[in-house]
Amino acid sequence: MDRALRRRLEARFSDALTGPVRQRHDETEIRIGPGSVSEVLRALHDEPELSFQMLLDLTAVDTGTQMQVVYHLWSPASGDWLRVIADGLSRDDPRVPSVVALWPGAEWQEREAYDMFGVTFEGNRDLRRIYMPPDYTSFPLRKDFFLADDAARSPGAGVQHMERTEAPVGAPKEALVRRTNA
Amino acid sequence: MTAVSRAWGRLTLPGKVVFTIVPLLVLLTIALVVAIGLFGTLVVDILIANIGIVRFVVAVTIILLLSPPIAFVIIYMEMKIIALMNLRLGPDRVGPWGTLLSTVHGLKVLMKEDFTPTGADAVVFTWAPVVVFASTIMAVLVIPFAPGLFGQDMNIALLYFFAVGGLTIVGLLMAGWSSFNKYSLLGGLRSAAQIVSYEIPLTLSVVGLLILAGTMSLNQLVELQGPHLDAATGQMTGAWFTDWFVFRQPLGFLIFFIAATAEGNRTPFDLTEADSEIVAGFGTEYSGMRFGFFYFAEYINVFVLSALTVVLFLGGWNAPFDINGIFAWLNSVQSVVTFPTAFAWDVNPAAVGLPLLFIVALAPVLATLILGAPFYLLRSSTKWWHAILIGFVLFNVLVVGLLLVWAYVNFEWAAGLFWFLGKTFAFVYLFVWLRGTLPRVRIDQLMGFAWKWLLPASLLNLFVTAAAVLVIGG
Amino acid sequence: MTTTIPRHASADDPRVLLDEEIGVFEPVPPYPPRTEREAEFYTLRDGEMFLNMGPQHPSTHGVLRIVLKLDGERVVDLDPVLGYLHRGVEKLCENADYHQTICYTDPLEYVSALFNEWAPCLAFEKLMDVEVPPRAEYIRVLSSELLRIASHALFMGWMALDLGGLTPILWSFIERDEIVDMLSALTGARMLFNYFRIGGVNGDLNHEFMSRLGDWMSRATEQHAANIGLLNENEIFVRRMRGLGTLDTATAIRMCMTGPNLRATGLPFDIRRAHPYSVYPELEFDIPTRTEGDCLARYLLRVDEIKQSLRIIDQCLHQMPDGPVMAKLPRLLRPRPGRAYGAVEGPRGQYAVYAVSDGTDQPFRFRIHDPSFIHLQAVGTLMPGNLVADAMAVMASLDPIMGGVDK
Repeated sequence: MDRALRRRLEARFSDALTGPVRQRHDETEIRIGPGSVSEVLRALHDEPELSFQMLLDLTAVDTGTQMQVVYHLWSPASGDWLRVIADGLSRDDPRVPSVVALWPGAEWQEREAYDMFGVTFEGNRDLRRIYMPPDYTSFPLRKDFFLADDAARSPGAGVQHMERTEAPVGAPKEALVRRTNA
Repeated sequence: MTAVSRAWGRLTLPGKVVFTIVPLLVLLTIALVVAIGLFGTLVVDILIANIGIVRFVVAVTIILLLSPPIAFVIIYMEMKIIALMNLRLGPDRVGPWGTLLSTVHGLKVLMKEDFTPTGADAVVFTWAPVVVFASTIMAVLVIPFAPGLFGQDMNIALLYFFAVGGLTIVGLLMAGWSSFNKYSLLGGLRSAAQIVSYEIPLTLSVVGLLILAGTMSLNQLVELQGPHLDAATGQMTGAWFTDWFVFRQPLGFLIFFIAATAEGNRTPFDLTEADSEIVAGFGTEYSGMRFGFFYFAEYINVFVLSALTVVLFLGGWNAPFDINGIFAWLNSVQSVVTFPTAFAWDVNPAAVGLPLLFIVALAPVLATLILGAPFYLLRSSTKWWHAILIGFVLFNVLVVGLLLVWAYVNFEWAAGLFWFLGKTFAFVYLFVWLRGTLPRVRIDQLMGFAWKWLLPASLLNLFVTAAAVLVIGG
Repeated sequence: MTTTIPRHASADDPRVLLDEEIGVFEPVPPYPPRTEREAEFYTLRDGEMFLNMGPQHPSTHGVLRIVLKLDGERVVDLDPVLGYLHRGVEKLCENADYHQTICYTDPLEYVSALFNEWAPCLAFEKLMDVEVPPRAEYIRVLSSELLRIASHALFMGWMALDLGGLTPILWSFIERDEIVDMLSALTGARMLFNYFRIGGVNGDLNHEFMSRLGDWMSRATEQHAANIGLLNENEIFVRRMRGLGTLDTATAIRMCMTGPNLRATGLPFDIRRAHPYSVYPELEFDIPTRTEGDCLARYLLRVDEIKQSLRIIDQCLHQMPDGPVMAKLPRLLRPRPGRAYGAVEGPRGQYAVYAVSDGTDQPFRFRIHDPSFIHLQAVGTLMPGNLVADAMAVMASLDPIMGGVDK
């Protein structure tokens, strides 16, 4: 069945695939460009030979050179797992069409991808931060996220810390540690 | 600094308390004795002239003084019984088996910060708990605890009770609205809808009873369920539990009980304080003694509703069986043993004479030893002073028990109080049991139940009772 | 520049001046709306009001803030605000070894922690082509099914608590306590077990665990029947839950739901059968399914699943092979670059991990897919139109755990 799936995918999406169909263990993986996301996913969802009805996961990956958006699909009819990697998004302004029209349950997953990576999903009516506070300025899961800079910009930057860095006034000069010569 | 002020400064806080209070008490006692000596007879004459008012004031004072202990007992019952139903222990540290916990809660509530939330209507916010508490306490006034033990015997007592009970809704609405909090608003409106809806079946379910009994006075209703002179036949009748009104108005009893559960905001109808949805309902912004007032009022309300159920349907202070009747029948049936029909236990200590001194001195010691000995002998881990302590406690329990039995036998009011409190607390237990077991109904299910089921059922009860009275009695 | 701050006297003590306006706390964000949906939600029509079920609330399943738009007592719309429990697990795992990620994933759905460990173990084992010994697989299945029962028991109690019954949650905790004590004899911990390892489990079964397990199994069926007898036939309980929050299969699939919430609508999708892993192909069990899709169906379905889990545990105990419980692996794992997706059927649904490796000893991307996150989204479809009381019941019946929602 896996070989059949691979042949079907190669036949159907020959122009949209940007890489070979890889299969390992029980997973099949295809790579497409960001522009063909809506067309390919709609085809995978609607067409009866493919019928990948269920979206199992939607996420983004920052490879250091580019962004990817990864979809995991499952087909109730044939029981196959498929991973669709939308590769080649620029790291400065990653944009991808949203799949909320096909799966309204993807809305929050896209919000999370936006929150963590900055990927803009065009067509998502509610693309705002979901985990981080609304005035947060960085995207935490990106590879260029640096916590110290972020902490310096955060609203709590002027907060007095409660931990002491020096000893209190009346403390003895030497630490009260038991020393033996044994 | 004088010697006195230096000594005062060296005292600890308890010492200061003692040295302030004791002299004050001594002075007060002296002043009281002097006042009684000078004005005593004058005051007594005035009181005797206005005995009605005096009796009323004394009754109200006793009611106000006894309400917190009753509330404490019911609160403890609720905590302990629900805990045991939940297979956990509940309070068991403060006092023996945790019995003092609710008292401690009462004291704690007095010591909390009393604040008014920003934006709340301060006057209404402050007076809401007072209204709720006052209306509940006013309802205790008409409840007959025992023959001779009641606040006020009015011939419209039942009407008064329902009228006053309806005042709580005003207080709850005041609380919900003035708190400046949407949760309180939701809770207050829910409670308004609920209590108003269930007032009608509550009152209608009792009207059938009124038709049968012909009186609205609670005292007379209780007397009708006990040994009384039947107006029609002219004989003493009604000493058994079968004469209780629950057997003549079973549907009325059921409707009354369900409506009472809703009136008291008890589970399954406790969505006014549904703490899994609207935090604490109308009481969300209340803390300290104000919340304590609501809390007290709820539990006194539970007591009042149980008491009313008992008074109306279960015979009030009447015993379920007629001991005099049983003894008279036994006497008539056999002549071996003669049972006293008019039972009285006269204890005349003076008749004993001088040995009374020895009895009073020796009986505690002997009883302690006798009662404690089995524990010492049969259980090896009991130390000797353990056994003596247990013996002494048991001796006290025995004496108190004998005293109670003597009171029960000799005084009608003691017997009546015993039965009344027993039945009332059985119903309180039932309320608590329901709370531990059942989930909550939804507001629309609750309203539907009241208007579509309880109201027609109570009307049906009323019509059937009226028809029966017309056909059978007429 | 001087600005006068409007002050007013406090109601308790007129000498205290509070320097804020008396205003109703409206849970509206203090900045202009960023998205269409936000703008649409935060404009009130006539007769509507906002109610903030804040992060502190007796009945949200963890720290969750929901802004409800109410028309009287009826919920018109809602906006859940997440992030109160966000711990940055995905980022933390990127800076940890492969072995260390297991203990980071434990506290995600803390009620059923072993499933949180199993998914990354599956993903990494696929990534590194590790063969898990069969005894370890059976132990994994055994302990996970026990924890599934514990999680469902907690759900039953929690559901009843949200409806107002005080007793069932304590009885459920008794059930859960026994199971968790057993697992503490096996793993050493009661809630965050840290037991699974890449390539097996941490320690073999021991005598104490086996004796407790045997003891418990002999009582389990009657105890379970007694516990559910309190609720299943309770008229108030059933009437509150029947017909509430009905989902049909098409909507559930479109909302990306999995697990008991999807099976209650009629689709028998269970990862243990749809895409088997571990030794589930050798075990005999049914997939309970119900068709009504309402709260009562979801509740009864989880009750049925407990029975199936008991069956699985029984078979595991009988079929347990001997052998090692851990594959031989180096301490420092360096898989070759690749991607793997490991999904398990948790008590709440599909719990999956998508792991991307770049050849170093730390995961390059460690994505956790949590079912509670998805199901909480469905709350936005199911709650409107219901009363506030029902809204809470609907959310409880979807069984979200905020640790998983917020990661």
